Amino acid sequence: MKLTRRDFAAGLAVGITAPYVIGSARAQGATIKIGMCVPVTGPAAEQGLWAQNGAKLALAAVNKAGGILGKQAELVIEDDQTTNPGIVLAFSKLAAQRDIVGFLGSIRSTQVHAMAPDVLKLGKPVMIGGTDPALTHMGNPWLFRFRPNDSYSGRVIADYGVNTLGKKKWAIVHSTDAFGTAGGKALASALEKLGTPAVLDQGYANQSQDFTPVVLAVKQSGADILGTYFTFENDLGIFARQLRQLGVNIPWVGSPSVVAVSSTKLAGPALYGTYGVADYAEDSSEASKAFGKAYRDAYKTAPDNQSAWPYDAVTVLAAAINKAGSTDPTKIREAILSLKKFPGAEGEYNFDQNGDGLHGYNVVRNEKGKIVYDKHIDFDN
Amino acid sequence: MDLALQLLFTGIGIGAVYALVALGFVLIFRATNVVNFAQGEFSMVAAFLMVVFAVDLQWPYWLSFLLALAGMALLGAIFNLGVYYPLRHRTFLPVIIATIGASILLANSVLAIYGPQPQVLEGWFETPGIQLGPVYLDSQYLLIIAVTMILVVFNYWFFEHTMLGKKLQATSQDKEMASLLGISVSTMIMITFMYSAVLGGLAGILVAPILFVSIQMGSTIALKAFAATIIGGFGDVAGAIIGGLALGIIETFGAAYISVPYKDGFAFLVLVLFLVFRPQGIFGERVAEKA
Amino acid sequence: MSAPSENMPVAVAVPRAKPLLLRHLPYFIGAAILVALTATMQFDGYIHNILMQATTFAIAVFGLSVVLGLCGQINLAQAAFFGLGAYAVGLGTSDYQLSYWLCLVAGCVIALLAGALLGMSTLRLGGHYLAMVTISFQQIVTLVMINTIWLTHGPDGVSRIGRPDLFQSSQSYLAFCVAMLALVGYVVWHLSDTRLGRAMRAVRDNELAAGVVGIDVFRTKVSAFALSAVLGGLAGGLFAGGFAYVSPDQFSFAESVVFLTMSLLGGVASPIGSAIGTGLLILIPEWLRFLKSVPGLYLAIYGLSVILIIRYMPDGIWGFVNLATERWRSRTKTPAAAAALQLKPANVGGDIVLEVRGLSKYFGGLKAVDGVDISVRRGGVHALIGPNGSGKTTTLNVISGLYKATAGKILLDGTDITDMPPHQRAAAGLGRTFQNIRLFRSMTALENVEIGAERPGNPLIGQGGEAALTERAMEALTFVGLGSRANELISSFSYGHQRLIEIARALAANPTLLLLDEPAAGLNSSEKLQLHELLKRIAAQGLTILIIDHDMTLVSEAAQHITVLNFGRRIADGESMAVLRHPDVVSAYLGTD
Repeated sequence: MKLTRRDFAAGLAVGITAPYVIGSARAQGATIKIGMCVPVTGPAAEQGLWAQNGAKLALAAVNKAGGILGKQAELVIEDDQTTNPGIVLAFSKLAAQRDIVGFLGSIRSTQVHAMAPDVLKLGKPVMIGGTDPALTHMGNPWLFRFRPNDSYSGRVIADYGVNTLGKKKWAIVHSTDAFGTAGGKALASALEKLGTPAVLDQGYANQSQDFTPVVLAVKQSGADILGTYFTFENDLGIFARQLRQLGVNIPWVGSPSVVAVSSTKLAGPALYGTYGVADYAEDSSEASKAFGKAYRDAYKTAPDNQSAWPYDAVTVLAAAINKAGSTDPTKIREAILSLKKFPGAEGEYNFDQNGDGLHGYNVVRNEKGKIVYDKHIDFDN
Repeated sequence: MDLALQLLFTGIGIGAVYALVALGFVLIFRATNVVNFAQGEFSMVAAFLMVVFAVDLQWPYWLSFLLALAGMALLGAIFNLGVYYPLRHRTFLPVIIATIGASILLANSVLAIYGPQPQVLEGWFETPGIQLGPVYLDSQYLLIIAVTMILVVFNYWFFEHTMLGKKLQATSQDKEMASLLGISVSTMIMITFMYSAVLGGLAGILVAPILFVSIQMGSTIALKAFAATIIGGFGDVAGAIIGGLALGIIETFGAAYISVPYKDGFAFLVLVLFLVFRPQGIFGERVAEKA
Repeated sequence: MSAPSENMPVAVAVPRAKPLLLRHLPYFIGAAILVALTATMQFDGYIHNILMQATTFAIAVFGLSVVLGLCGQINLAQAAFFGLGAYAVGLGTSDYQLSYWLCLVAGCVIALLAGALLGMSTLRLGGHYLAMVTISFQQIVTLVMINTIWLTHGPDGVSRIGRPDLFQSSQSYLAFCVAMLALVGYVVWHLSDTRLGRAMRAVRDNELAAGVVGIDVFRTKVSAFALSAVLGGLAGGLFAGGFAYVSPDQFSFAESVVFLTMSLLGGVASPIGSAIGTGLLILIPEWLRFLKSVPGLYLAIYGLSVILIIRYMPDGIWGFVNLATERWRSRTKTPAAAAALQLKPANVGGDIVLEVRGLSKYFGGLKAVDGVDISVRRGGVHALIGPNGSGKTTTLNVISGLYKATAGKILLDGTDITDMPPHQRAAAGLGRTFQNIRLFRSMTALENVEIGAERPGNPLIGQGGEAALTERAMEALTFVGLGSRANELISSFSYGHQRLIEIARALAANPTLLLLDEPAAGLNSSEKLQLHELLKRIAAQGLTILIIDHDMTLVSEAAQHITVLNFGRRIADGESMAVLRHPDVVSAYLGTD
């Protein structure tokens, strides 16, 4: 083989420019990028890690199945520091990268509120896990929710307590932060509709060291069933213990924190026999079981909703882009809204015009420290 | 009435926790004229040490307890050498800010090592509590109240009847005079920091079975304890105890009869009222005139 | 502490060639260029948000540089004031559809009132109390933001916050904020050379001395606190418009600590330092994101840095830079010569300038001063002597208002001053020096004496303009023989010279009566001679002096009249020579047994 000078020059040119060509190809979209705002620092850093696990698991599955529009998908992660200003900065940093086609926002409603104006301005789809009902009802077409919102959790708690357990005298205890207030409100209005208005609606501030006044208020109210929205597991643990110590043993149906792994660990026997709504319950569907198995295989620990919703978000976003055949935001939006009966780890997705994908909850029970699936309650509207 | 009794017990219990931490504040303040904003973190660190020894390593409870307190004495010494001592000739302002820095450092170092999940620490007793008529007495709260009372007596004996206690007293009252009398002021301050850290640690270990062990446990208690010291009269040991108990009771009753969400507000409201109308606190002397 | 050099009067007594605003033209040109750049340059949303945050935070930190840097008072609630301003704009523009400008002003007013009230309730107390009260205030504000859901939307926060029509686009709004920053920066920068700013610095350096030279310490502190709160409120209002969303967790105690750290890192004493600190503390966490893999690690490093900054850079980065240039700059200025000092003590009363009747001061059970009478004649030197612990200094402290009298009356030139605070006594014509020298240590000799000359009611400074003050101060410094070193910092003077500066500070105020507390203590013999000669020259101008000293030679030669105290009681009084021979006096000094 004779190597001419011309060949050599051409080869040299290719050799020199190749990295640039590849580089610029990458910049122009050799991969499809999905941005993710997640707490890497701050109080929710650990949950943030679980969320990344879930998203990465989905990403691996998507890429194994051929990727998005024939390209490999890639996650770009930014730390939201578990604060509102943090997520605004993190999101603006991601938004500045033009080639990101869709985003994963936060599981925290206040953070989603904080970033919402920027989302509207940017005009690209953002998957969220915050459960404040208002988030999808404020005229922002770019937010898509992958957990059932709190109006459903309130309705499910009320429905289960009134229709399944047959209890009518409700005491509501909720934290006074965004999550607890919205949840408490939803539960109260659901009970109102069922004709059994609550006899007690008691708020408390997060990180209270003592719940005696709250427990005594529940006791005094004569309620025969308790519905709760607790934000922090240690608050829940203190409350649960004091509740039992002061002799309150009425049925208890609560928001997801009641059946969270860490609460079960902290409160121990004090939570035996309680019911909780859970957006993710491993035994609720085939898709959930499959996710549970995959997660366990990958990370050697059981998943919860913190990792289930990002998993679904990445899966749905990928499916929608593939369906749309384009990364044009409007087309992605249409594709997401057109998905019907899409099986996910959190449940079956049927997006409504507001961007809410799920419309019901699982009810699970604490069976001597083990969380078991009880039933699924769904609403059509 | 039953309700009030139950609230009173809880109020005293939580108040005793404030009192223990407040005691640590007061001792350091008397010795150095400095408010230690990292006092709450002492409680948190001690509780985590207990988790390491008693839960993770499964060592006997009493041994873990002693080791945790020894660890706190060491931390107190390091704190003195690293934070207070280099700044001792400066005004109170830099020192306050340095202790705030130390508090951020301690809380986040533990976070970095142990992660944000709250941990469980078992109480000292097997029985969780006693039902006494209409009132349920949590055994851990009973222990805390007992320890607080013992410490009041111990402190009185220590400061009034031992040589070391008297030297510490002398140092806190007049450093120049103390050093003229041959007392090593820096040793006394060192001992004060170690003792305060141990006291703060004791509070943390005792309260951990009730509140669980979390990164934030220290700072919430410390703010209340600080309020307690002002209500009681700054620099006064008895005042810290009474202030702590009073705050615990006010808070519990305020929550029960006025508003639960504003529970933390009562503490600060009472504090502001005291500062405006009786800045010397319940027991304190008049704010000193100086020229 | 840095006084910008172009701001120091170089040629004393020569009227300024250019008006102030013209001399600072470069600053405004620079600011205008900066604003124009922000308005026209292209940057992405991330950079925009960082700049927005830095700009508004810097204004709040300027507030801290006033209260903490200039006045030396701690404020751990700056985030709460910031929040008040932010919520005023947030709620006003979104829920009540009010004009942005109205809301911004309302936010400032609310912050001002809150700051002033908070200050008035606690600034009489010491620093720890203030720290605690501001923390409490911070906590209460946070609780109210979270819990009064009907007003504040609780933890959901306020969204869709409006902006002024003029600055609808993000970029123009940012430019507007930068312009505000430049304006506030200018005001804060020059505050330190105004009467109020000098008073704040004096209070910070030495509260007692500030009182006796005629500064209303309490009002000065409250002003500083309120000003800091207003800047917090203004910054918050701008912030709310910039991000269009606010929620309670943005205004928590942790944020107050961040503000404080920004201020300390850059250098608390100057707005330039504040700006540096703010910029760094917003950028550093962004740079340090690589540490994010371990939760808590970078905040731990942050905490450690706070300790290290306090330890090794007490004046922050800017202070550190300044220190290197300070000496060089102060040497470059040569003060001009001054005219001879004139003392025109007021003369409205009769023959007696100071009349003390039955004065007592008890500390608990201790009778430090017990029923003392003193009459000081006009135009003479009157000495107050007695053995150690006889109550001399206590008497002086009661006369100058540092202690409140337990009983008795004090009349100065016929005016009853018994119940006046120190600064009013100074205004009434009382001047004093301290046994342990109390100068404002971060200032130059000239600035110290200027603050003295600024005494309310001093007739010799005309309208009190800067030129007149400087002239008066130069005269006083020249009178004590230190005119040529006027622009040096206090720390560069010897002990004896510091005494002379303290005397000059009192003389510049043109007092009716001068109290000298052991002026010869710690002086060597030649300095004592100088002092003696100085006293003669002062007395020659007809100024009345009440002096305490142990040096009997000085006392017997200078004083025409002597009062002797022992165990808080007057044991002798009268013409010098007679008193010194009085048997009780001799035994008090030599012991009776």
